[in-house]
Amino acid sequence: MLSEQKHTLGTFEHALENLRNNVMMMASQTERSLNRALKGLMDRDDKLAALAIADDEEIDQLEKQIDKDGIDLLLRFQPVASDLRRVVSAMKLSSNLERMADQATNIARKARKLNKHPALPEILLLNPMIDHAMAMFRDSVDAYIREDAQAARAIIPQDDALDKMNAQVSRQLIDRMARDPEQLRGYINLMFVARHLERVGDHATNIAEDAVYAAAAEDIRHQQVAATA
Amino acid sequence: MVIMEKETEHPAPPFEPQKVAEPEPQEKAMITVSDVDFSYGAHQVLFDVNLEIPPRAVTAFIGPSGCGKTTLLRCFNRMNDLIDGAHVSAGRIELEGHDINAPDIDVVELRRRVGMVFQKSNPFPKSIYDNVAYGLRVLGATKKSRINEAVEKSLRAAALWGEVKDRLDSSAYGLSGGQQQRLCIARALAVEPEVILMDEPCSALDPIATAKVEELIYQLRENFTIVIVTHNMQQAGRCSNYTAFFYLGRLIEFGATSKIFSNPSERQTEDYITGRFG
Repeated sequence: MLSEQKHTLGTFEHALENLRNNVMMMASQTERSLNRALKGLMDRDDKLAALAIADDEEIDQLEKQIDKDGIDLLLRFQPVASDLRRVVSAMKLSSNLERMADQATNIARKARKLNKHPALPEILLLNPMIDHAMAMFRDSVDAYIREDAQAARAIIPQDDALDKMNAQVSRQLIDRMARDPEQLRGYINLMFVARHLERVGDHATNIAEDAVYAAAAEDIRHQQVAATA
Repeated sequence: MVIMEKETEHPAPPFEPQKVAEPEPQEKAMITVSDVDFSYGAHQVLFDVNLEIPPRAVTAFIGPSGCGKTTLLRCFNRMNDLIDGAHVSAGRIELEGHDINAPDIDVVELRRRVGMVFQKSNPFPKSIYDNVAYGLRVLGATKKSRINEAVEKSLRAAALWGEVKDRLDSSAYGLSGGQQQRLCIARALAVEPEVILMDEPCSALDPIATAKVEELIYQLRENFTIVIVTHNMQQAGRCSNYTAFFYLGRLIEFGATSKIFSNPSERQTEDYITGRFG
């Protein structure tokens, strides 16, 4: 249960608001970094790829700031119930966003490698994965910000679809490698990009799980493992 | 920092996640409160309270000032009898199944079984030894060896023995505030009660003394049923097994402390414990 009412202690209210704003800012910078990396890849734009790589430093600093603010909040105000979940989930969210930004950097590096050689038409195989992974990213952050457990839950099954897309793209690229070994290096880089997109989906899933925890106090992680144990 | 992802993943070996045991009130309740209304004269302060206090556990009563938590606590050993016009106007309070307001109840015996520790430590102007022995003597104990044994046992149980064993004949007023409060707990323990009521027992203590009393409360729960009224939410979270939240004379929510402080069922509880009102 989440309360809409404001805290009696204004400094506590302000600290929670500040933490939330930093998470929103970090999410928006991570999205920008992913977009730059992916556009740099699709449009063969080294400049955009370089910007995506440069974004990483700022996002790393924001992760540290959110952790510092979160620990400070725990120390000063000893939050409980929904407030405690908000702080813990903000700290976990920042960790997932940072790792997504790492994926953006990885994609941007692969883009720069690919851009050194003639364009491969197979790059278009990645388009459905890009759309799917970015939708998962946006939806998970949106569910977290709106504290919407239902919307967050709806994201979890989408990860399977992304995993299947990744497997399919990999199969298609392996097939191309056999037929055109000259382009082996390029196809391997495209496979890596698919893998990085698949990891973006994993982190979006983690964010959705944290959003459910923050909004509904329910831990929905590793349920398949628990069910089969 | 950029981390390159591993290309292979190994399935984790099966394991049994460790679960933190949460006490379940399976045993018969020590104190049962049924449909209780309470009034000071014409002014009603408790409304239709229903509650079962589990045995050998710490139950914390929380809520804003004037919510009735202390009034209910004082009902459990009929301390409210001392206030003119104060009375349980409806319902029933039972100690192990027996109505504590029944006409044939011996109130002195009830208060032996249900001891009390107050907000401010209130040692008698006597020696440390005599403070602890007081209740036993009132109950008729005369044998020196038995009293000696009970005094030592109570002071040990109250985690005070090591600090006072060499000065048992000194005045209790020479003890620090925290020691005086533990002496009062020892005094309550000496008559071997089953229930100990504590009304904000740490509100006048410094953090170290508070920690010692809280540690003591936590240890005592193995042998006693403890009900504690506190305004300190962190204290309720630290040392109680169950928490009851009261508001405007009504019991809003009762449950395991871990549940109340992580995911309460009622909006009013959530708003109170997170500091949104009260």
